[in-house]
Amino acid sequence: MVEAQRPKRKSPYPLWFFLPAAIIYGVLFLVPTATSFWYSLTRWDLMTAEYIGLENFRQFFSEPFLVQGLINTLIYAVMTSGLKTIFGLLLAVLLTSNLIARGFLRTVVFFPVLVSTIGIGITFTVMMHPTRGIINVALEAIGIDGPGWLTDPALALFSVALVDLWKGVGLATLIFIAGLAAISPDYYEASRIDGATRMQQFRRITLPLVWPATVTVITLSLIGGLRSFDLIWAMTKGGPGFSSDVVASVIYKQYQAGFYGLSTAGNVILFGLIAVIMVPLTVMFNRREVEQ
Amino acid sequence: MSGVELKDIRKSFGALEIIKGIDLDIKPGEFVVFVGPSGCGKSTLLRMIAGLEDVTSGLLTIGGKDVTYAEPSQRGIAMVFQSYALYPHMTVAENIGFGLSLAGRPKAEIAAKVREAAASLQLTHLLDRKPKALSGGQRQRVAIGRAIVRNPQVFLFDEPLSNLDASLRAQMRLEITDLHKRLGATMIYVTHDQVEAMTMADKIVVLNGGRIEQVGSPMDLYNKPATPFVAGFIGSPKMNIYSGAAAEGLGCKTYGIRPEDLTLSSESGRWSGKIRHVERLGADALVYFRVEGFGDMVARTIGSAAFQPGETVWATPQAGAEHRFDTPNPVAA
Amino acid sequence: MRRTRPVVVGGISLAVAAIIFIVPFFFIFLQAVKSRSEASRLNFDLPKEWLLWDNFLAVVEARNYQLLLAYFNSTLITVFSVTILVVLSAMVGYVMQRRRSRWNGVAQVAVLIGLMMPPAVVPTIGLLQSIGLFKTMTGMVLIQVAYNLSFSTLLYRSFIGTIPRDLDGAALIDGAKPWQIFFRVVMPLLKPVTVTNIVVQSIAIFNDFTNPLYYLPGKENVTVQLTLYNFQSMYTSQYNLLFMNILLVTIPPLIVFIFFNRQIVAGMTAGGVKG
Ligand SMILES: Nc1ncnc2c1ncn2[C@@H]1O[C@H](COP(=O)(O)OP(=O)(O)O)[C@@H](O)[C@H]1O
Ligand SMILES: [Mg+2]
Repeated sequence: MVEAQRPKRKSPYPLWFFLPAAIIYGVLFLVPTATSFWYSLTRWDLMTAEYIGLENFRQFFSEPFLVQGLINTLIYAVMTSGLKTIFGLLLAVLLTSNLIARGFLRTVVFFPVLVSTIGIGITFTVMMHPTRGIINVALEAIGIDGPGWLTDPALALFSVALVDLWKGVGLATLIFIAGLAAISPDYYEASRIDGATRMQQFRRITLPLVWPATVTVITLSLIGGLRSFDLIWAMTKGGPGFSSDVVASVIYKQYQAGFYGLSTAGNVILFGLIAVIMVPLTVMFNRREVEQ
Repeated sequence: MSGVELKDIRKSFGALEIIKGIDLDIKPGEFVVFVGPSGCGKSTLLRMIAGLEDVTSGLLTIGGKDVTYAEPSQRGIAMVFQSYALYPHMTVAENIGFGLSLAGRPKAEIAAKVREAAASLQLTHLLDRKPKALSGGQRQRVAIGRAIVRNPQVFLFDEPLSNLDASLRAQMRLEITDLHKRLGATMIYVTHDQVEAMTMADKIVVLNGGRIEQVGSPMDLYNKPATPFVAGFIGSPKMNIYSGAAAEGLGCKTYGIRPEDLTLSSESGRWSGKIRHVERLGADALVYFRVEGFGDMVARTIGSAAFQPGETVWATPQAGAEHRFDTPNPVAA
Repeated sequence: MRRTRPVVVGGISLAVAAIIFIVPFFFIFLQAVKSRSEASRLNFDLPKEWLLWDNFLAVVEARNYQLLLAYFNSTLITVFSVTILVVLSAMVGYVMQRRRSRWNGVAQVAVLIGLMMPPAVVPTIGLLQSIGLFKTMTGMVLIQVAYNLSFSTLLYRSFIGTIPRDLDGAALIDGAKPWQIFFRVVMPLLKPVTVTNIVVQSIAIFNDFTNPLYYLPGKENVTVQLTLYNFQSMYTSQYNLLFMNILLVTIPPLIVFIFFNRQIVAGMTAGGVKG
């Protein structure tokens, strides 16, 4: 009898709060992402799309310079991520120890994160000039014949990655500093009583306990590395030749050239690359976290 | 002033039933205390009355009106939360007047009502402060003030004193009792502290595991606990409770005797045992001893009693003070 | 002995780190105040004449005051997209944190995808064209909102977890409607994370180069980063002006950083910790 009338009361947390965000995100991000799978199978001029099957992908994997972009993307991502993790942790340890001017140094290390990537790219391009750049001039002063940082095809990608490290290591350091701050000093005192050396403390206490921060740094910098475009574009435009091209710059170049289908295929490949790397990695990291 | 009626009220979170059928009749103007161990569902029940939790099934009326599915603001209730839930970004005056301002009342009316409520709670000099700048007791009063201006038919309190220190708690207990006398409104008060329940309530509702164990006046529950659970929960120090062979020897499933209902002697009595420990509280002393073949026992005696650990003591229950239950002791089981 | 060695090692590595991180900024400043011929030598010599003001004027006046237009456009895009972003992501984070519904899982996946995946650029251009938003400020603003929603939502959701639910209950009993609970009770309490969101997203959007490059081509729409990029090819022989431009682009984040250091750090680490 009571059950007869059961007006469902309205929640104080209305689902329509999702709506405006969902519309913008759905229309401008999800819809293009979804349709990209179709367009990647077409020859497309933004007006008409002609289905050509896997032709774009076949081309992508048969043109050496496109394959090069794919390999470069991997090298670049792994290298920047690895370097940021290592140097980020070292800097964080240094900047959490008892040092003069610690606050100032943290600021100095972090500030490049906030500066325009294009500005930094141009600055380092100039500083890396093979003859007049101050890096090589400085090296010459101590008797070293500096390389063509950005002009040597074997070196260009690595040079850009170093600048990426310079610009991005501050964020990694910041995350590691937060992670280190979360470790209770009790562990260090207890292990001192147990007779642990500085090095043993670092390996047996700091490293395992700062793992969540490490996961964050690796994850963020890998994603950033796989997607990176603007720094490379500002410094080398993928050159010399195609030696520092990555998937993101290939996408842009093919777009500029009017190969919209091929460009979109590059995009789909980038989705796949990120998914193939990040999904297992996230699962693995989460599992390790659960075990601990 | 209006009563509250609960008819077979149930609540489930997913598949888990937390409130398992509550029938309760609260008279207009009554001060009712829900008491029970932590996690027994007191807050959930109170929040259902407030309308902050949906009722899974059953019927809830306030002042004779079915409010089972009514909005919280339409039920004629006000609530004081355990955390006080004062709006941190608003001044005391804005906190108290927020409900009125939402209702679109004229500014002058709001100001007058806020001032009136504040005056009755000695908050007038604090009206421009933010909650952060108040002491625990003052926050408590603001929370009560916010409830008062709503002029509710029913006040709901969820462990309002648990964040205060002991002396302040005793004082606020009196203030809330006074408030009840002054306003004459129906009040439902949740606590896990049986002292609060005993000292404040017209009627105590003992909850356990989502069910009502017993409803009655404080002295009813003390004198005639219906179940071993109530017997053990009401009264301090706890009643001595025995089950199994010891109880069967006395003709019941569970047997109970309060420490204050035992007469101690150093010569003779029903039970005897060696004293393990004596706690002297000043006016009273608690004597702990073990009766062989029966169990541990506590007795309350006068503070000046000369019992010492190691001595043998005899205990005898006072006539008519023994409790016999036909249900097994849930704690021992 | 054992105590001095770490100090020495630390001191040296700090000096090295400081030099590495400061020198490029010093270089930028130095080139920006030199004359054209001095700057073209790309070295660390101090300028004979400090041409800070002259170079500044030259850059501002270049290409018919293009830089001013760029600042105007970038500011407009930043202000509008951050405003929309803050309101919408706070709403999403709030309901995600407060309410259990089957849409939560969907929202969570959407947030994750948004954090991880790059946008599909050419299909987006096609779509913007078809709804008339390609090469428009409106389109650019909405794109920035869409691309940055995930991060903002993440920040808001974790912060809203620290706002006691009893406040919502109290407001509900006081007769607040759902939108009043949110805008009058919860939103004001989100101020710290709102400041973080505003600061971090403003810098990100102001510094964004890629998205304006794709979605906002055209002279009348130039943004600060695009201008700088274009100046790079235009000023190959006028490094002083190029670096003055870089200096000008570097100053806004520097100012923001000086005032909101704490909020930036909070936002960057919080957003990072649960990615
Ligand atoms: N939203 C919820 N979801 C699931 N279980 C809940 C929820 N709220 C309370 N519970 C459970 O219901 C039981 C009763 O909780 P509560 O009413 O807060 O107890 P009390 O106030 O008596 O300590 C507890 O076991 C608690 O874990
Ligand atoms: Mg409770």
